[in-house]
Amino acid sequence: MPPLADLTELIVFVLLAAGVVVGSLGVVLLPNVVYSAFLLGGVFLSVAGLYLLLNASFIAAAQVLIYVGAVNVLILFAIMLVNKREPMADAPGLGLRRLLSSGVCAGLLWLLLRVAYTTPWATPGPTPLGEDAVVRLGEHFFTDYLLPFELASVLLLMAMIGAIVLARRDVFASDIGTGEAADQGLIEKARSPLLIEKTRP
Amino acid sequence: MDTLAQSLNAGAIAPEAAILVALIACLLADLAGERTAARFVPPFTYLGLGTSLVLLALQWNQPAAPSFFGSFLADNLAVAFRAVVATSTLLSLLISWRYVERAGTPVGEYASILLAATIGAMLLCGATDLVSIFVALETLSVSSYLLSGYMKRDARSSEAALKYLLVGSAAAAVFLYGTSLLYGVSGGSTDLASITEALTATGVAPLSALALVFVLATVAFKISAVPFHQWTPDVYEGSPTPVVAFLSVGSKAAGFALALRLLVGCFSAFEAQWQLLFTVLAVLSMTLGNVVALAQTSMKRMLAYSSIGQAGFVMIGLVCGTQEGFSAMVLYMAAYLFMNLGAFACITLFSLRTGSDRISDYAGLYQKDPLITLALSLCLLSLGGIPPMLGFFGKIYLFFAGWADGQYLLVVVGLLTSVISIYYYISVIKMMVVKEPQEASDVVKSYPAITWVQPGLQPLRAALLVCLAVTAIGGVLSNPLFTWSNQAVEGTPLLQSLISQGPSVPPA
Amino acid sequence: MTLPSLSALTPVPLEAFLTVAALLFCIGVWGLINSRNAVRVLMSIELMLNAVNINLMAFSSHLDGQEIRGQVYAIFVITVAAAEAAVGLAILLSLYRNRETVDMERFNLLRW
Repeated sequence: MPPLADLTELIVFVLLAAGVVVGSLGVVLLPNVVYSAFLLGGVFLSVAGLYLLLNASFIAAAQVLIYVGAVNVLILFAIMLVNKREPMADAPGLGLRRLLSSGVCAGLLWLLLRVAYTTPWATPGPTPLGEDAVVRLGEHFFTDYLLPFELASVLLLMAMIGAIVLARRDVFASDIGTGEAADQGLIEKARSPLLIEKTRP
Repeated sequence: MDTLAQSLNAGAIAPEAAILVALIACLLADLAGERTAARFVPPFTYLGLGTSLVLLALQWNQPAAPSFFGSFLADNLAVAFRAVVATSTLLSLLISWRYVERAGTPVGEYASILLAATIGAMLLCGATDLVSIFVALETLSVSSYLLSGYMKRDARSSEAALKYLLVGSAAAAVFLYGTSLLYGVSGGSTDLASITEALTATGVAPLSALALVFVLATVAFKISAVPFHQWTPDVYEGSPTPVVAFLSVGSKAAGFALALRLLVGCFSAFEAQWQLLFTVLAVLSMTLGNVVALAQTSMKRMLAYSSIGQAGFVMIGLVCGTQEGFSAMVLYMAAYLFMNLGAFACITLFSLRTGSDRISDYAGLYQKDPLITLALSLCLLSLGGIPPMLGFFGKIYLFFAGWADGQYLLVVVGLLTSVISIYYYISVIKMMVVKEPQEASDVVKSYPAITWVQPGLQPLRAALLVCLAVTAIGGVLSNPLFTWSNQAVEGTPLLQSLISQGPSVPPA
Repeated sequence: MTLPSLSALTPVPLEAFLTVAALLFCIGVWGLINSRNAVRVLMSIELMLNAVNINLMAFSSHLDGQEIRGQVYAIFVITVAAAEAAVGLAILLSLYRNRETVDMERFNLLRW
C-alpha cells in the first residue's frame, strides 16, 4: 500500500477518534440534554467511521441505521415527551461525588490503557476479508451462532411487547376475576401518603 | 445432512422450545381479549412448563454432546439448574394470577414476559459461548426489568424498574468489556473452551486479572452479592411480589450456573485469585445481608436482605471447588427454591387479604389465619436452618463441605450469621404466634373471612401447600436429593475435570 | 468493486483503537455516575456499549480477519442495545407519568 494511503487513513482515524472523544465529553457535560442527544448522534456516526477503517462496512451501515436512525431518534422522542424545565436543585455532596468519580474513572482509564499496551496481542492476524465479510457473517448466523440469533428474536419480541404494555395509557383498568376497579399499582399499599413532590411551576 | 443434524443436536434445547410454544400460545390467547386470556393462559403455561420439566428429566444422565456447534451443552449441571429455574417459574406463576388480576394489569403479557425470562435463564445455565451467554443474560435481564415495572401506575414499581434497568445495563456493559478482552486474548474465539486454553497459556497478567474482575462483577450483580447488592432491596421492595419470588430464585440460580461455567470453568488457571475474591464476597454477603435484615420493617425488604445472606451461604460451596462443595451448592439451591417460594406465597396471600407488607402488621395472625402462620413459620425456620426442615440439611451439607476443604473462616462466619438470621426469622414467628388477641395489629383485627373462591386463589393455595410439604418433610427424605445433587456434579465433565485437577490446597 | 484499502489491514495499530474505546468507556462510566437527568444516564450507557463495540471490531479486524467473530458479537450487542433503549425509555415514560420528574436525585421512594 502506498504511504500516502496510509497517511490518509491515519489522519482519518485521528479525526474520527477526536470526534468520538470530544462528542462523548459533550454528551455527559453539556447542561442542555437536547444538545447532548444531538452530539450522541455525532458520536455514533464517528464510531461508524471507525468501523469502516476496520473493514466492517456492514456493521458501519447497521450502526448508522440502528443507532442513529433508531436509538438516537428514540432518545430525542423521550426528551420531548418528558420535556419540562426542571430546576435541578443542587444535591448535597455533589461536588465531592464528581471529584471522587473523576478519580475513579481516571484510575479505570489507566488500568484499561495499561492492559491494552502491556498485553502481547497476536498481531498481525490473518488478512481481513473485506467485502466478503457479509457472506461470512451470514454463514456464522446460520451455523455456530444460530442459537443466539434465534434467542435474539425472542428478546426483541419481548422488548417490543413489554415496552408497549408499559408505555400505553390504559384509560380504565379492572379486576378480570371480580370486576372491581383496579389501580394497576402494587397490592402492598404505601401506608403514609406518598410524598410525591410536584415540581414547582 | 446427517452431520449437520448431529452438530446441531437441537434436541438439547427441547425444554426451552416447549416453553417458547407456551409463550406464543399465551400471546395468541391474549389476542382474544382479557377474559379469554385469564381463562386460557394459566393452563397453557402449566402445560409448557410441565412438558419442559419432563423433557429435562429425559436429558438427565445422558452423555452430554455439544449442540448448536458448541454454543450449548446440556450436561447434568445445566439440567439441574434449568430444572430449578423452570420449577421456580411454575411456582411463581401459580402465586401470580390473583395478584396480577387484582392489580388490573394484563395477564397474557405478564405470563409471556415471565416465560421469556425463563427461556433466557435456562439457556444461560447451559450456554458455552460468550455470545450465547450474553444474549441469554440480556433476555433474562430485559424481561426482569419489564416485570419489575409491571405495576405501571405505581411510582414505586416504576422506580424499582428504572433502578434495576440502569444498574443492570451498566453491569451488562462491564461484562461486555470483560468478554471483549477475552475475545482479544484468545485471538478471536468466543467459545469457552478456547478461551480457557488461551487464559491458561497467558498466565497471570493484567489482562486476565481485569477480565476476571469485570466478569466477576457482573456475576456478583446477578446473584446480588455484597458489594454489588445495592439494587436488590429497592427492586425487591418495589416489584410485584410474585416477580420478586422469581428473581430471588430463578434469576439467582441462573447466575450461579453462569458463575460455575464462566468463572470456575474458564478461569481455572486463576483458582487462587477467584477463590479469594469469592471468599471476600461470601463473607461480606453473609455478614451484611443478615445483619441489615435485622433492622427491616417491610417483609419484602427483609427477605431481600435475607436472600443476599443466602447467596453468601451458597458461595461457600463454590469456593470449595470439591465434589462435596459443588453438590452442596446444587442441593442448597433446590432447597432454597421451595422454602423461599413458600415464604413468598405466604406474604403474597397476606398482602392480597390485607394490602399490607409490614412486619408489624403480622402481629397476632395465628388467631385469624393458621395456614399462613404455619406455612410462613416453617419456611422461615427452614431458611434459618432449624433442624428437621429441608434448609437444615442443605446448610449442614454446605458447612460440612467447607470444613472438609479447610475453609474455616467461611464456615465460622456462616455459623455465626446463621444464628443472627435465626433471630430475625424467629422474631417474625413470635410476632405471629405469641401475641394475645388484643395485642394484634389493626390489620389483623379487621382480617377478612378466609375464602378461596376468587379466581386464582386455588393455584396460590396449591403452590403454598406444595412448598410447605417439601420444606417440612423434604428434610426427612433428603437422601434422594443428596443422590440427585451428587449425580449433577458427577455427570458434568467440566466440574469433574476441575475436581480431578487437584483440590485447592488447604491452609493447614 | 472493492477499494484496495478496504480489504487490507489498516495501518492504524490495534492499541490506538483500544485507547479510543477505553476513553469512551470511562467517559460513559463518569456520565453514568454523575448525571442527574435519567435520559442522560441512558445515553451514557449507550456510550459504554459503543466502546465495547469498538473493542470488538478492532480485535475482529486485527486478530480475526477471516472468521470475524467480533463482528457477529457486535451485531448482537447493537441488537440488545436497541432493545434495552426501547425498554428503558418505556420505563422512564411510565415513571415520568407517576412522578413528573426525571431527576435521579428525586427517585427516592425506595430507600436507595
